[in-house]
Amino acid sequence: MLVSINWLKDYIDFDLSPEELSDKLNLTGTAVESIKHLGQDLGNVWVGIILDIKPHPNADKLSLTTVRIDRPEPLEIVCGAKNIKVGDKVPVATIGAHLPNGMEIKPAKIRGVTSYGMLCSKAELGMGADHGGIYILPDDIEVGVPLTKALLLDDTVIELEVTPNRPDCLSMIGVAREVGAITERKLRRPSVDLAESSEEASAVAVVEIIDPDLCPRYSARVIRDVKIGPSPTWMQQRLEKAGMRPINNIVDITNYVMLETGQPLHAFDFNTLHGGRIVVRRAKNREHLETLDGVVRELDESMLVIADADRPVALAGIMGGGDTEVSDKTADILLESAYFNPSSIMRTSRSLGLLSEASARFEKGTDPNGTVYAADRAAAFMAEFAGGSVDEGVIDVYPKTIEPRQVPLRTDRVNAILGTDISLDEIKNILRRLELEVEVIDGTTEMWVLAPTFRPDLEREIDLIEEIARIYGYNNIRSTLPESSGKQGGLNLRQKLAESVKGRLVGAGLSEVLTYSLMDPNDIDKLQVPKGDPFRWFVRLLNPLNEELSVLRTTLLANLIKVLKYNVNREQYDVQIFEVGHTFWQESGKDMPDEEAMLGIALTGAWEQDEWYEKARSADFFDLKGAVESVLDELDISNWSVRQFTHPALHPGRSAELLIGEESVGYFGELHPNVQADFDIPRTYVAELNFNKLIDNASIQKEFSEIPKYPGIILDIAVLADDSVSNDQVLEVIKAAGKPLLKSVRLFDLYKGKGVPEDKKSMAYSMVFRATDRTLTDEEALDSRDKIVNRLSKELGAEIRA
Amino acid sequence: MVTRVDLENTYEKAKAAVAAATSLQQLDQVRVEYLGKRGKITSVLKTLGRLTPEERKEIGQVANKVRQNLEGDIKEKQEELSSEEVIKRLAAESVDITLPGREHVYGRRHLISQVIKEITDIFLGLGYKVAEGPEVELDYYNFKALNTPADHPARSLQDTFYIRKAGAHPADNDIVLRTHTSPVQIRVMKSQKPPVYIIAPGRAFRRDVPDPTHSPMFHQVEGLAVDKGITFGDLKGTLEEFSRQMFGRESQVRVVARESFEAGIAEGGQQIRLRPHFFPFTEPSAEVDVRCFACGGVGCRICGSGWLEILGAGMVDPNVLIEVGYNPEEVSGFAFGMGVERIAMLLYGVPDIRMFFENDLRFVKQF
Ligand SMILES: [Zn+2]
Repeated sequence: MLVSINWLKDYIDFDLSPEELSDKLNLTGTAVESIKHLGQDLGNVWVGIILDIKPHPNADKLSLTTVRIDRPEPLEIVCGAKNIKVGDKVPVATIGAHLPNGMEIKPAKIRGVTSYGMLCSKAELGMGADHGGIYILPDDIEVGVPLTKALLLDDTVIELEVTPNRPDCLSMIGVAREVGAITERKLRRPSVDLAESSEEASAVAVVEIIDPDLCPRYSARVIRDVKIGPSPTWMQQRLEKAGMRPINNIVDITNYVMLETGQPLHAFDFNTLHGGRIVVRRAKNREHLETLDGVVRELDESMLVIADADRPVALAGIMGGGDTEVSDKTADILLESAYFNPSSIMRTSRSLGLLSEASARFEKGTDPNGTVYAADRAAAFMAEFAGGSVDEGVIDVYPKTIEPRQVPLRTDRVNAILGTDISLDEIKNILRRLELEVEVIDGTTEMWVLAPTFRPDLEREIDLIEEIARIYGYNNIRSTLPESSGKQGGLNLRQKLAESVKGRLVGAGLSEVLTYSLMDPNDIDKLQVPKGDPFRWFVRLLNPLNEELSVLRTTLLANLIKVLKYNVNREQYDVQIFEVGHTFWQESGKDMPDEEAMLGIALTGAWEQDEWYEKARSADFFDLKGAVESVLDELDISNWSVRQFTHPALHPGRSAELLIGEESVGYFGELHPNVQADFDIPRTYVAELNFNKLIDNASIQKEFSEIPKYPGIILDIAVLADDSVSNDQVLEVIKAAGKPLLKSVRLFDLYKGKGVPEDKKSMAYSMVFRATDRTLTDEEALDSRDKIVNRLSKELGAEIRA
Repeated sequence: MVTRVDLENTYEKAKAAVAAATSLQQLDQVRVEYLGKRGKITSVLKTLGRLTPEERKEIGQVANKVRQNLEGDIKEKQEELSSEEVIKRLAAESVDITLPGREHVYGRRHLISQVIKEITDIFLGLGYKVAEGPEVELDYYNFKALNTPADHPARSLQDTFYIRKAGAHPADNDIVLRTHTSPVQIRVMKSQKPPVYIIAPGRAFRRDVPDPTHSPMFHQVEGLAVDKGITFGDLKGTLEEFSRQMFGRESQVRVVARESFEAGIAEGGQQIRLRPHFFPFTEPSAEVDVRCFACGGVGCRICGSGWLEILGAGMVDPNVLIEVGYNPEEVSGFAFGMGVERIAMLLYGVPDIRMFFENDLRFVKQF
């Protein structure tokens, strides 16, 4: 809502500067978006009249004008625009003017002819984007006066952001009422002095409401013998300041009164209404109406129309129809001033994609009891500025009067919610400043508050408490902290564990990234995911922004790979990242998609940099596995194992499934070379683990265990085994055979090459033997080792070197 | 037969050899030569048995004296030599202490996670718990239970991502990507009795085309306190305490200009400013500005007015309390919400919200 300060002062006296007023409005809930001082930089711009237009001697596209302003001699000015004619009044910037668009006017030779100024367009004057040529001023304007004075530009316009609960502030009177409440001044509503003719409106026009639920009230006046022409300059200027384009006196008056009162009005050319009838009804399905903007619209029965005896003539509350529009030939007017059901207007406006100043007000709720005042006000203007004669009486169909609402309010409740100590008197004072009537219940501090119908937002006690709070001033309310004993803050165990896992990964050298929960479904193809795979159980957006963000991610991999690629493409070749975030999937037959927190890891490039003490080393499968193991270690999970894992996205020989107990919690491995090629990325290792399952399996019970009292004996063995024998297999045998004296075993060397047959490998293990109750003898340890050796050779066909 | 003079000559030679020794090894050779099992002095002592008692007494005394003296000499020399050797070894072992240390390479938490942690820690200290919820939400939790009318613009297909329901009629669209983390509040309240003191950090989604200040996904921290006797004053006090800890001197957030924030407060300025506003789920509602921590409130390029809009807040609307089964006559509450990216951008001068999700490691590792 654009509010001219000068216009506002028609209704309320205040001595605040626009800036001071804006501060007060901001702190009471009407946000001021901008403050625009008009007429700035319009010094040396005058109203001129064009006396003569000649072609420029040296340029086809230019003309040479003679313009008179308030000086003895007319000025010769070169002009390029074509929309001027002799007798037009135009803004003339003379030598020395500094225009808002930055232009400085100096005497200039244009193609050999000296020009002593410039005729200005609206854009050049900072008055809008209208580039249609020179700004032709209204005819009734005085020549020779400064433009700011002629156009009443010695004014400031503030732009208000009106919240949807305050439709009353979409009017000058509403804003004035608000300013009055803040500044404790009284509002002046313009009185209407209407001279009616002796002809009765109801004798010539009939209004019928078929659907009173959608149109609870329809008021109309008939005005005859109007002369269509421009509206007075002051009215045009006020409309312009409010961001509306002047059209003609009748339309301008309806707009002006709408801006003033908040009540949208519509003027029909009465003689085009068949049967002199107004019928307010739902549209019929596939009924058509050509609206004022020239678009033919197909209607349906959810929409409300204004019809005459035969056809729809307006889309109720949104836009009039072309057939009944006021034109230059219009003589008689039927003026509509109605109240429509807000949600009906909103629905229709949305479904047609048609917004207007009127619909913006109706859909938030206008004042059902303000229709007649607005109609009278507009009719009086039509008499005054269009020479019309107003028929006697308002045709007012209002089947069920909408009364102001009675809302209960308790002083104690006000203070309990706000934490204040506001007295009953102060409450009454604040509410009365807002034009709410207060009736205190005898002997109590409770009251009934009458919420006027222009305040549809005031329905409940809490609505009134908010009014009191904002006028009292939020910043005058004393700050306290809740005094509860019921606060036990802190993270829960799962949250603590989650944080410690992320910290551990950071400690392991990985950086955290955050990627969209959305992904590109085509990336799943790049991952070579087969049909039916859960990675394809997409949760699709109904209204995605684009294909790349059209489904919820079923895996963290794709977005992590893209981050990796983004970095590699920018010379960041060593990427070690993780993300903890949700993945989503849609099971067929289920309504609600599922989601689960996952941990994703991606590694590429050097794990160890070239250093003065060692050579660089690329990340490999075991760096990835180390990162996974660090998570398991952080959570003290010991009963985990891995097994071969096959997935088309992964290298078949370098991928593993992680199991805790019997349960799969994810996978890790090298990306399949084809996938790497498809994404155009270097060798990359990825993991995706179910974060919730990891946390579920965290072992949180730790207990002291005895530190060994007796020394142990360390013995090493080298196991020469087939390539196909895994470390886990060897360990399993060693552990089983070493019972009960074997306390720990560790692989400390792995060797293939010279001295080892081609299809074999040598694995060296270090074993610690110990008894808990005595010092072990060498014989006992050796005996235990022999058992292990025997079992290894028997079960794995391994050859052992002690 | 050795004489006393022989012995004394031997000692003199030995003494000279000890003095001439330049290493512990040479010294040891000297020791062996004279005092070893077959050393020159040892062998004299071994022959004592063959002498007469008088000779034995005389020579024995001299020999023992010579041995003791020589042992003393050797010990002295040994100490001298070993300290020299230590010095030499230490000199040989010295390193260039300016070479870089072998440091384990650490990663970084994402800046958004760090800011969330900073915010979270403050509220944990104020007695709040952290609540979480799904990103895919029912319209009911995201809008309806939060008193948002069916025709509210935020619910439009223009503003909110809807999930395409498998096979359902489009009109049944009732599953959304949550547009704020407020639905978590509803879930928490529906699952427990008051008092409730929680914050809900997490992802939220709005159908905005990415540009420097918009992102279809962003992070929010919402807070909720519902208890007996919670007031608007409590909301103000809580947000003041939050802003003091978040933007004041005690904050871990590394912002150079922090001093001006403190100075602005010290001059008697308010830390925060509340402006009445409208939200469907709170009443009274406020937009909350924090004194600009870049300029201390005098107005600058970042803030314009001296204030930075950081939060939306208000008293929980009675309709919301009723919806979750609480009695608004018995308990009241406040709620607030803040955008994490916005705070991070303001605090660290990050110019473009998209950088948070591009994850350029040169960005991630800066913080
Ligand atoms: Zn500032």
